[in-house]
Amino acid sequence: MKLEIKGLTKRFGSFTANDHIDLTVEPGEIHCLLGENGAGKSTLMNMLYGLLDPTEGEIVADGTPVTFATPGEAIDAGIGMVHQHFMLVPVFTVAENVMLGREQTRGAGVLDRRAASRLVRELSDRYGLAVDPDALVEDLPVGVQQRVEILKALANDAKVLILDEPTAVLTPQEIDELMGIMRGLKEQGTSIIFITHKLREVKAIGDRISVIRRGKVVGTAQPSASEAELAELMVGRSVQLTVDKAAPTAGDVVLEARHVSVVDPRGHLVVKDVSFEARGGEVLGIAGVQGNGQTELIKSLLGLVRPDAGQIFVEGRDISRHGPRQSLEEGIGYVPEDRSHDGFVGSFSVRENLVLDLFRNDEFSRGPVLRRDAIEANARHRIEEFDIRTETMETPVASLSGGNQQKVVVAREFSRPLKVLIASQPTRGVDVGSIEFIHKRIVAERDRGTAVIIVSTELDEIYALSDRIAVMYDGRIVGTVDPSIPREEIGLMMAGASTPAAANGGAA
Amino acid sequence: MKKTARMAMVAGLVALSLTACGERDSEESASDPTSSAPTSEATSEAPSEQFPDFKACIVSDSGGFDDKSFNQTSYAGLTKAAEDYGVQTAEVESNAPSEFGDNINEMVQQGCNSITTVGFLLGDATEAAAKKNKDIDFSIVDFAYEKPQPNVKGLTFNTAEPSFLAGYLAAAKSETGTVGTFGGVNIPTVTIFMNGFYQGVQKYNEDEGADVQVIGWNPETQEGSFTNDFENKTLGQSTAEEMITQGADVIFPVAGPAGLGGLQAAQDNDVKAIWVDTDGCESAAEYCDVLLTSVVKAMDVAVEQAILESAQGTFSSELYEGTLENEGVGLAPFGPEADIDDELASKIDELKQQIIDGEITVE
Amino acid sequence: MSETPNGPAGPAGPGNPGTPPPAGDQGQGTTTQGGVPAGKKEAGRDRDLASWLPTVVDSIAAVVLALVVGAVLIMFSTPRVVESLSYFFSYPWDFFKFSGEAIWDGYRALISGSVGSGTAWTRTLERAAPLICAGLGVSLAFRAGMFNIGAQGQILLGALVGGFIGFHYDLPAGIHLLAALAGALVAGGLWGAIAGVLKARTGAHEVITTIMLNYVGRFTMLYFLGKEALQRPDSDNLLSPPVDDSAAYPTIGGVHLGVLLAVVAALFVWWLLERSTLGFEMRAVGANPDAARTAGMSVARVYVLAMTLAGVLAGLAATMTVLGRQDSLTDQVAGTVGFDAITVALLGRTTPLGTVLAGLLFGALSAGGLSMQGAAGVPPELTQVLQALIVLFVAAPALVRGIFRLRGQGRKADVMATGW
Repeated sequence: MKLEIKGLTKRFGSFTANDHIDLTVEPGEIHCLLGENGAGKSTLMNMLYGLLDPTEGEIVADGTPVTFATPGEAIDAGIGMVHQHFMLVPVFTVAENVMLGREQTRGAGVLDRRAASRLVRELSDRYGLAVDPDALVEDLPVGVQQRVEILKALANDAKVLILDEPTAVLTPQEIDELMGIMRGLKEQGTSIIFITHKLREVKAIGDRISVIRRGKVVGTAQPSASEAELAELMVGRSVQLTVDKAAPTAGDVVLEARHVSVVDPRGHLVVKDVSFEARGGEVLGIAGVQGNGQTELIKSLLGLVRPDAGQIFVEGRDISRHGPRQSLEEGIGYVPEDRSHDGFVGSFSVRENLVLDLFRNDEFSRGPVLRRDAIEANARHRIEEFDIRTETMETPVASLSGGNQQKVVVAREFSRPLKVLIASQPTRGVDVGSIEFIHKRIVAERDRGTAVIIVSTELDEIYALSDRIAVMYDGRIVGTVDPSIPREEIGLMMAGASTPAAANGGAA
Repeated sequence: MKKTARMAMVAGLVALSLTACGERDSEESASDPTSSAPTSEATSEAPSEQFPDFKACIVSDSGGFDDKSFNQTSYAGLTKAAEDYGVQTAEVESNAPSEFGDNINEMVQQGCNSITTVGFLLGDATEAAAKKNKDIDFSIVDFAYEKPQPNVKGLTFNTAEPSFLAGYLAAAKSETGTVGTFGGVNIPTVTIFMNGFYQGVQKYNEDEGADVQVIGWNPETQEGSFTNDFENKTLGQSTAEEMITQGADVIFPVAGPAGLGGLQAAQDNDVKAIWVDTDGCESAAEYCDVLLTSVVKAMDVAVEQAILESAQGTFSSELYEGTLENEGVGLAPFGPEADIDDELASKIDELKQQIIDGEITVE
Repeated sequence: MSETPNGPAGPAGPGNPGTPPPAGDQGQGTTTQGGVPAGKKEAGRDRDLASWLPTVVDSIAAVVLALVVGAVLIMFSTPRVVESLSYFFSYPWDFFKFSGEAIWDGYRALISGSVGSGTAWTRTLERAAPLICAGLGVSLAFRAGMFNIGAQGQILLGALVGGFIGFHYDLPAGIHLLAALAGALVAGGLWGAIAGVLKARTGAHEVITTIMLNYVGRFTMLYFLGKEALQRPDSDNLLSPPVDDSAAYPTIGGVHLGVLLAVVAALFVWWLLERSTLGFEMRAVGANPDAARTAGMSVARVYVLAMTLAGVLAGLAATMTVLGRQDSLTDQVAGTVGFDAITVALLGRTTPLGTVLAGLLFGALSAGGLSMQGAAGVPPELTQVLQALIVLFVAAPALVRGIFRLRGQGRKADVMATGW
């Protein structure tokens, strides 16, 4: 199917999220949609999928203008979407999930499971998806669950498949497999709209690249374009993609975790006997696919969850029984992985968020009274220092872009003397310009002698910042390695392989 | 609720009225709305004294005039006075005790000649207003002052007397030898019923050599079963269910609307009950089949009487006490399925006469 | 970054000449915003006048709308208007004349009964004062992330203790008042604290616990009213004596001192929320407890303190009737103030100023509604219908948000922007 988007515009009140977007997706084309978070990619796709009504413009499928009032109509028209967050029923089998909503019955309302199974197997074979129709979805790895989502779309005869940031949850190996599947689909004539902000991926898979910036298509590029060119197009100015950093001058051990184990509220052991050291003046990167215990591990470091076994020391003092407040006072800086969940208060102003964990200090309060002038001066100062783009210091943080939200969190955490900085996914959902800035600040903090721990699922980021890399899989640190190790090897470790070669690379 | 329903009904009528292309009534009814409905009736009945310049007013307690209980019955006295004597009326409903004073004052400002307040909770506010407004006659339902102001009349009801009859009746009709009673809240206006009822049962035991037990009330300790709530029907029902489980086959709930739950329980378990304040076969007709009778407190009669006295200028602060003798209290006609034989009926009449004559004293 | 010409003060909008703002300006930020346009207003509430404006307009519009619907109800609850409909086609003028008169009479009584005279003002203010105090308590708890349904019970306990001290003890004038006042505040505060502690310690939902505590409060009141010590001499009625004059609020400028205390309470709550460290924590916990915890705040402590203060404010509301109007204690002494306070708080968008204004509005409606009943013969239900309509038109979204605990719009919009 040839899909044309002509002058599509979406306004929310006075704000234009999509401004006269023109886009053509040829049959059997992998069309990459590159843009930073908040550039308007999702708005565009939501209009294509019938979730939002366009303010202006039209969608043309094979020469016929179409309108979709609901996703159902979009599906009927041959548009399929794989969401970033899967919409699967975990306790159902693959075949049941694929059939969900369009159940085939045999006579008196009896589900025809066999027919469903057959269809899944057939589709799976045709497109080389390799999925067992009778497996329970909850038993499947994330990468395979994603294939089930793709199967769902294909079962609905999707001619155009929209993949919304599909690689965010995958290991490097799974990403390679996904790309293989995408190529297979393409050969069968399915068009794919591939949404991402990762330059490496568009270059690897795209036939054509459209770059969206601030609601407009600012250009199309060929995959042969360099990453720097693409980044410049995406951000609107030239961007430095690598971080300049001097060799580390690793000092004494500042933070040490000894045999830490954490049981999550559902009773699963999610952190299993983890030990590591973080030294002053050094960045320890913790790599791993999302959901392998990193979240709980760093929460235990700050005292947000109590470790169920093991100890944590800062400069030799046991802090494993501390709550967040004592840990913060101990000199731990913390950039949480989900900033809108626990990094800031969305309805609070920039000014207030900049002192969210500092307002108790004598600088910002006298007894029970907040010192407004000091808080305002601080805000003015930090906004300038960290280049936070906000209308005023009274603007609610929720209405800032992701990058500026993150800068607020970073600015706050960096504005007090730190012994340890723990930053989880410090640049997730952050625009390229802000990534550059945040990375520089993290390195600067390291150079000041702070022990830095970076948790990231993005290997690029781990490589860019780390002086040592610890890889987590299934709640354990499977190895600590030097950043000179090739990506493939780390990729294997992220999938659980603990190679002796890898283990030798690091100190721990 | 009554008025809300009225508003809704009236809104619905509009559609009907619009289609009907009627004629205007007489000039008089169009210009004088307050008397439009009653006039026809008043003129058709025996001509009674008319006081069109007299304004009679009423203030409810927080139950409101739609409480199916003493506010409503008292209010009925006011409307009856308007029908019978052509007086003007005004009323205010209270939502909370803190409003009582304001509400009475509002009635004062509306130029009322007589103001009736309903319930002991208004005692203070009524007395205070009476002190300030000597030219207005006040009457208060269910309350008696130690030293009444000269322009305040307490309207009380010796409901112990008819309750005595009810107790006798209940004991006579009980097959299990157990009858039950419960109250809303342990206050005198409630327990007076229960005391009378108890005595009536004892009278029956004495006369017939029976041993009918009363559960739910102990006159010595003045303690018993209370729902502590006049509104919660469920509480009334569970209290009654409990008594029925203990063998009671006649239930006497003295708990306002909450007592309806007691009737429900009686209906569910196929036992009998006796209603209070109003004739249950009218005010709670769905339960008429379980009712032996009702202990009626003719507040409407008392209120209307007080208004009439005020209008005629014969008002006095002398306490009104409704008794069997002056028919301020009494038993309602027996329920259709009460199955009272003539012998028992005449015995009740006999007892009633003995009370009126003072041969029996009910406390 | 070498170029940072876009200082915070500069208009960083797209139209800024010279340096086009690089990526990540608010143009993008509002994408997140765009998903839920109404959210912006909420997020920026009480921060600047401009963001207040639409809500003020909303509220006024709601009042006007309610009065219009009310007018129709007045029309059709007036017998002669309805009668005139039956001959509408013969004498249509009657219908309009009578309707006009009925509405005019009704609303004139509403105005004159609420603000038309000194007495009317007194009545309005004295009815508004308890609503404001209890409403402030609901607002405060709401801002700390709790839906406090328990003002009613807190008022009852405050009234019980304050009233008891007021009539049972014999103390010198000023001290007696202070003791009764303190008793009411402490009792209300403790009652509120129970729900706070239960939530902080066990996670028990405050909506459930406060509702239950309302029942417990009422039966506690009834229990004590049954005791001789609380009843009037020679009376078995569940009615206490009024407080001694030495424990009553003095009257200042036609209204009792409590009205002034309500204003002081509003100022205090404003100061607490906007200027104090505790208020900062409360608002943070209310808006995002996870972030507050991560920032080292004790969410449990905030819950307990917020509910305690909410109870103290409800206790203050109790003194308005017991010490202000010298009402006797009964099980109905709180009227429906505790529940109306919830509406007042939500109507006032849970800000101190809004709560005061909403409280005044409800006080005026209550005072004026009385005159409508008395002077214009409008059914008393109409006042309640008016109040309900106003709330329906303006506060329903706030109510829904409160019940379903929807977080700030940022979160919701994130789902829209990335989840789909």
